Amino acid sequence: MEIPIRVVQIADDIKAMRIRGAGKIARAAAEALKIAAIEYRGPLDESSFKKYMAYVANLITSTRPTAVSLHNAVLYIMSKVRAVSGGVDDMRNAAINAADKLIQESIEAISRISEFGAKRIKNGAVVLTHCHSTAAVSTIINANRMGKIVKVYSTETRPFFQGRITARQLLESSVPVIQIPDSAVRYVMNEVDHVVVGADTVTSNGAVINKIGTSQVALAAHEARVRVFVTAETYKFSPMTAIGELVPIEMRGAEEVVPLDWIKSHPGLEILNPSFDVTPPEYIDAIVTEIGVIPPQAAINVLVERLGWALEEFLQSEHRPVFGEV
Amino acid sequence: MSELTKLGFSPGLTSTEYSLKLLSEVSESFSKISELRALTKAYSSIVSRVKAERPTSAQAINLLKDLGVEIVKSMEEKADLSYVKKNVLEFVEKWRNRIQRELSEVSRIASRRISSGESILTHSRSMCVVRTAEYIVSEDKKPIFYVTESRPGMEGLVLAEELWRMGHRVKLIVDSAARFFMKDIDLVLLGAEAVAANGAIVSKVGSSLISLAANEARVRVFVLAPTSKLSIETLFGELVQLPEGDWRRLMPPGVLYTLPENYRARVPLYDVIPPDYIDGIVSEKGLFAPQAISYLIKEVHGGWPLKTISLESLEKELSKLVGGEVYGDTD
Repeated sequence: MEIPIRVVQIADDIKAMRIRGAGKIARAAAEALKIAAIEYRGPLDESSFKKYMAYVANLITSTRPTAVSLHNAVLYIMSKVRAVSGGVDDMRNAAINAADKLIQESIEAISRISEFGAKRIKNGAVVLTHCHSTAAVSTIINANRMGKIVKVYSTETRPFFQGRITARQLLESSVPVIQIPDSAVRYVMNEVDHVVVGADTVTSNGAVINKIGTSQVALAAHEARVRVFVTAETYKFSPMTAIGELVPIEMRGAEEVVPLDWIKSHPGLEILNPSFDVTPPEYIDAIVTEIGVIPPQAAINVLVERLGWALEEFLQSEHRPVFGEV
Repeated sequence: MSELTKLGFSPGLTSTEYSLKLLSEVSESFSKISELRALTKAYSSIVSRVKAERPTSAQAINLLKDLGVEIVKSMEEKADLSYVKKNVLEFVEKWRNRIQRELSEVSRIASRRISSGESILTHSRSMCVVRTAEYIVSEDKKPIFYVTESRPGMEGLVLAEELWRMGHRVKLIVDSAARFFMKDIDLVLLGAEAVAANGAIVSKVGSSLISLAANEARVRVFVLAPTSKLSIETLFGELVQLPEGDWRRLMPPGVLYTLPENYRARVPLYDVIPPDYIDGIVSEKGLFAPQAISYLIKEVHGGWPLKTISLESLEKELSKLVGGEVYGDTD
């Protein structure tokens, strides 16, 4: 089966984390499926096209098996393709339209979230954020435009230093930002009014899976009675978790933590690099989505409202679906 | 520039190592003194350097106070330079032995709290923890050490290597992953810069966050701190000043240039673990509840009311006895 080179490139970029962040990979996945649909050169029968699209869908989702936004995006587009009963052209158009709609909505979601989120920030606020989240950064920038922000603490976020991206983006929008090492979050927490973070995945019980360290930031905030806001587009809510599936935490390579020669000169010394951790709902004050600000316990409402179609599929299949035959 | 330097690897001395280095410097600088008046200057310059370099180290401050008392006492006994110098050198030897004795006692007691097959989380790099790990090498307890890289400085890499060389099983993690792994941990072992009168512990930044996460997961936290780290001043309400650094603690200049011009970093070096998150403080005199520290202070420093003497008053007294200016250090 011939896969367009740009699709393979996108898959590689997601895998190597050159494209990262839940929103970006969802949009990249949509883009890849759209390109695949446009550049399909196979036989013009429905089942060949479906097979081809399923192959691409599996290729893309296998790059980051635990990234919910990626799976939701692919699931959404594939469900639209499968719903078509016409010929290849109709299916192709269904894929393109679904991808365009998803990309458009994903971008609009950020602006709505930042609008809702900024309202929740009080005047004269000191905000702490962890890692880099487009939704969180947009929220902070929006609040700063409203004159509400006094100072932002941004954690470095080892091992990848995504905090430096956050610092850069906030500085570009003239937000006063100070970087701190990850270990200093409790030290500064007494000064902080709100914690604003993004999310990788929101589970059906309102737990938030996000960059490693988020849960201890939330714990330190909880201890100091600082409010924690999670900004999350609804495509980050995981329908799988509604049927009791656990979200697997991706363990990444040691070479992201220390240089390769250090690893080689210390054989047997283990370096553990979990990418994400789980923040329990009791440490979260609100989840800000593009359809409104909700308590984490209401996550299931969002799932039913926005991803009801996917829930149905999961309930019927009772396991993570593969996209047709490969 | 090495890859590690780019990451911000720049481990400093543990407080114990700092004290031992300080003792060597004391004996070196005092053995060079050729007139009585120079005693004041030598003492004052060491005091002001420690205040600038390591104001948090209760051990270094206690050591300097003892040294000041020793010099004043010697001068009062016999205003003779060689007599004072001899006493200072003896003092240095005595303190060296004290530190070594404390280290082995603390590690012996701490090792008893480690049961077979336990997973131990530690942060930063503490000599007491190193010695405890050494102590149990021969005991066949097969512990697993979870070591945080401990930014700023990343001295966790040095500790991980030391433990690995001893033959221990070591798992290196980023500081952010402490809570993630806490449910696998049986015991948290931490070192200390200073022990306050209320049982609060000043330690490497991040220690309080780890203790909080341990408390949440009902994992026991033991702080290894010999009595030479008791901060007597805190009994009189003095606050321990916590120094902070800037971006230099996180990266070399070569990396800063890749960041925006107005990039700013705030880098606390130490933080305070509240006594509620500490299950026990292991000193060479035994394992104490943090709430019992005032008792320990009384044990070590004699009955109430405690007599305390400040470094400033020692410097003044010394200058009265031998002449020479206080804070007159120009080199």
